[in-house]
Amino acid sequence: METTQQTESKIIELKPFTDEMVVNMGPQHPSTHGVLRLELILDGEVVREAIPHIGYLHRCFEKHSENLSYPQIIPFTDRMDYVAAMNQNWGFCLAVEKLMAADEKKDFAVPERAEYLRVLICELNRIASHLLSFGTYGMDTGAVTPFFYAFRDRERLLLLFEKICGARLTYNYIRIGGVSEIIHMEPGSLDEQNFLDEVKDFLDYFEPKIDEYNDLLTSNSIFSERTMGVAVMSAEMALSYGATGPNLRGSGVDWDLRRDEPYSIYDRFDFEVPVAKDIPELGAVVGDCWSRYKVRMDEMKESVRIVRQILAEGLPDGPVMADLKAVRPPKGEIYFRSEAPRGELGFYIVSDGTPKPVRLKGRSPCFSALSALQELSRGLMVADIIAIIGSIDIVMGEVDR
Amino acid sequence: MPEIFSEGFFPNINLQDETNWATDFVRDVIIPRLPEAVAGHFPVELGTVLVMVAFAGIFVAVVPLLPLVLVLAERKVAARFQNRTGPMRVGPWGTLQTLADGIKLIFKEDYIPPQGDKLLFLLAPYIIFACSFAVFAAIPFGDGIPIPGDFNIGIFYIMAISSVIVMGVIMAGWSSNSKWSLLGSLRSAAQIVSYEIPLGLSILTVVMLVESLGMQQIVASQDGGIFTWLIFRTPFTFIAFFIFFISSIAEVNRTPFDLPEAESEIVAGFHTEYSGMRFALFFIAEYANMFAVSAIGVTLFLGGWQGVLPGYDFLGGFPGFVIKTLGLVFLMMWLRWTLPRLRVDQLMNLCWKYFIPISFFNILGTGVWGLIFRHDDVWSIGISCAIIYVGLISAYAVAGRSLARKPEPQPS
Amino acid sequence: MDKYIRNIYKGVYTVLVGMRVTIRQFFQPNVTHQYPYEHDFEKKQNVREIPKGYRGQLYNRIEDCIGCKKCELICPVDCITITGDKLPKGEQLWDSMNVVHLKDGREVIGIIEGDDKKIMSEDSMTITNITTRLGPQEVIDRLEASEDESRAETFSTDEVSRVVTRNPVVFYLDQFDIDMSLCMYCGLCTEVCPTQCLVMKDSLEGIEYSSFDRTDLIFEFDKQEMYDKDETDNTEAAD
Repeated sequence: METTQQTESKIIELKPFTDEMVVNMGPQHPSTHGVLRLELILDGEVVREAIPHIGYLHRCFEKHSENLSYPQIIPFTDRMDYVAAMNQNWGFCLAVEKLMAADEKKDFAVPERAEYLRVLICELNRIASHLLSFGTYGMDTGAVTPFFYAFRDRERLLLLFEKICGARLTYNYIRIGGVSEIIHMEPGSLDEQNFLDEVKDFLDYFEPKIDEYNDLLTSNSIFSERTMGVAVMSAEMALSYGATGPNLRGSGVDWDLRRDEPYSIYDRFDFEVPVAKDIPELGAVVGDCWSRYKVRMDEMKESVRIVRQILAEGLPDGPVMADLKAVRPPKGEIYFRSEAPRGELGFYIVSDGTPKPVRLKGRSPCFSALSALQELSRGLMVADIIAIIGSIDIVMGEVDR
Repeated sequence: MPEIFSEGFFPNINLQDETNWATDFVRDVIIPRLPEAVAGHFPVELGTVLVMVAFAGIFVAVVPLLPLVLVLAERKVAARFQNRTGPMRVGPWGTLQTLADGIKLIFKEDYIPPQGDKLLFLLAPYIIFACSFAVFAAIPFGDGIPIPGDFNIGIFYIMAISSVIVMGVIMAGWSSNSKWSLLGSLRSAAQIVSYEIPLGLSILTVVMLVESLGMQQIVASQDGGIFTWLIFRTPFTFIAFFIFFISSIAEVNRTPFDLPEAESEIVAGFHTEYSGMRFALFFIAEYANMFAVSAIGVTLFLGGWQGVLPGYDFLGGFPGFVIKTLGLVFLMMWLRWTLPRLRVDQLMNLCWKYFIPISFFNILGTGVWGLIFRHDDVWSIGISCAIIYVGLISAYAVAGRSLARKPEPQPS
Repeated sequence: MDKYIRNIYKGVYTVLVGMRVTIRQFFQPNVTHQYPYEHDFEKKQNVREIPKGYRGQLYNRIEDCIGCKKCELICPVDCITITGDKLPKGEQLWDSMNVVHLKDGREVIGIIEGDDKKIMSEDSMTITNITTRLGPQEVIDRLEASEDESRAETFSTDEVSRVVTRNPVVFYLDQFDIDMSLCMYCGLCTEVCPTQCLVMKDSLEGIEYSSFDRTDLIFEFDKQEMYDKDETDNTEAAD
């Protein structure tokens, strides 16, 4: 009896004492998607706290914009989310256009042809962005091959962008009042036909590839073990953190600005908004990493659908640029949001009637999503941190601006 | 203490053993060529040891060339899987790329972390390197090719030596004084120690059937063509082969079990702080290990250097052995470039909840099988192959049915 | 137990499905190419070509430049530096005239009859006072001296690739520097250029011009050369 008591007391004395370990993950790290620095407080492999430190890519975009005229700001929006630069251009141009529309004296409308080109190119850009997200997520979870497949297909998209605007990554294509005319594409000409044929070729090639990717990664049991049920972001939490786009839809909130607040000509197209659901037989929970990832995979299919509708209708005739003498919005302020691949991209612009904005603020979706990381990662493992960062799909250029 | 030595501290390197090939070599080749006066007094034991050392020297010189080829092969295979060309610049089709990399690594600075444990840091790569090459001593490469370590406990020796590698990994991780290295090495320790159990248990099924631990005896028992290979001998060894193969992937730290060096999580794991030639040693050891475990798998389950048909040399002899081994190596590469990586707890789950119970079940089954079929004959092998065939077909049928029921997970 | 077997089953099955995807790609042709060695972008069928209108290195056709400084103004990163003196009042380097670029590469300098803005929509154009590209003083002399009918020529619009209108030049360009290390390749400057003389090269040399020295990336387009020399057809970037 005595001996057992002694051993018991000894066990209590020998209660393992573990030291917390502080590890810097980043800013130079293979899978923090840029220059994100995470301060990890680890207990063995378990993460007690992951504190993101941002600002390594801060380029004073907003302050800088106050010294630039509106057309000059557009190339800088390219540098925000450089993976989906077309959508950033568009978001900014939409805001400025709406601000200018407040001026009753100037009567201007974006030409029909430009609207179609914008939707076409931005949906292709959305595919490119989600492809990159898919590839890097595969890489984060340890599968290298999807990365190369994604880049192989993205390359074809970049060639298309290069044909229509002359640049591969920072397009400066969508302008205030229309689209760029650096490369002139006569309506109904052979150039236009060739371009649309190439887009169609790409879609025909790409659509079966999505299923292939689902076979390769999405349904893979190791991948689903790694991502299903990990870092569940509930709908309330997503809303309170301001997560938008695929992250919000991955949490089960059915909200897409393209459908719910249609801007441009999105109300003319028929598309569905993928929203995550519980899949008990697989183990997927609404709001986990897998759902966020899967929403992106499904969104690519919907983007293909929208582009196909444009191809079926054909581009309308007419100019691609509204007749604007100078971009000089009236005095006033505007907040306009649009649905970029990573979520709700908003621009708040204060104008005093001069060609330069007085104040410009970009509301970046990645920043809001990243702020949820600290709460999501509490109590998970180091490998899960990587899975979360990949699933919320941040681009540091947009977080830091 | 004296008893241990009298029983033979190294029980298998018995210098008085008449069948030792090195002694034979000394007696038949060297002594007749020596002058009369020397020959009578020539110490056979010393000669044996010298011949063995010389042979080991040849091995150590030749075997590092193997990773040289394998690294290039891996890069080329990976490139093919990813629609690339792989290295193309150095030499014709990039064949000299690994050599160039090696030369570059030799000339690089050999950095030792000032805060780390210098002795352990210097020692760790050599331990890993030496252990991974010591394994090659006991592998029977072909008919008539002498094995430097022709022990009667060959497979036991291999298991023992390859577990020492984990010591080197922990030393490397600890002495680097880097948190990433420490995480990687501890992951590695947990992983290798756990996966040695299913590995050993699946080897045990083979040992039970052959009733010997010697590699030569294991190969010799599979001399009746493809259906006497141990993988087809019983349905349980068929399962054991796959458990052995997957566990050996985990043993050599390759995707999907490459947690110790998961580059997207913990940078480079236990060899984060190594540079120059020491890093190259890790690299060479990794690929040598990969070849070694494949060779062991071939020896144990796929007939070693025995051919497909009893009388013919097809897929037999030394070339056949190498082809079969490279086949397994290719399978490892194929898996690596397809699969994502597991998490630490899932890795342990897979080992403790799946592999180990199945391995025990295998041992039980093999024992029962051995009781039913005392000797391997046409009947036992026929029944075994039939069971494997029916099992695969029914699994495939179930796959088709479940596929038809739940086609593709569609959350939206 | 059911879940246990199902898990094993799912694991094996999905791994095999994934392996099927990768092994199919194993036998597909390459999509990459050996860039600096397959230099001409033509050797392989899957190698792309640089599309027309690609935004490469900035190049100023200095003889057409009128020094309006619009590009300097619009540039978001201030990579273009233009300095020039205004000529004394009343003086101008040359009169208003047109440069007609033909599709076969020739340039004809003269004055287009009729409205030069709408000339491209007509069938043919007549150019009078055709002159050669000589020093500015001589050009002025010729233009002043001649009312000669023999120096007129008519082209059909099909032959003409583009027409540049030169306004009276009152600037004397000292310096036209473009710092390509600062350039962000937005292409805004090429859009505002009234004479379309500032272009981005969509050829290979417009892409491969990297250098070890940052000062090598400052390209000086020197008009001084043009004033001094007799034959200035080959005015190149002084790089």
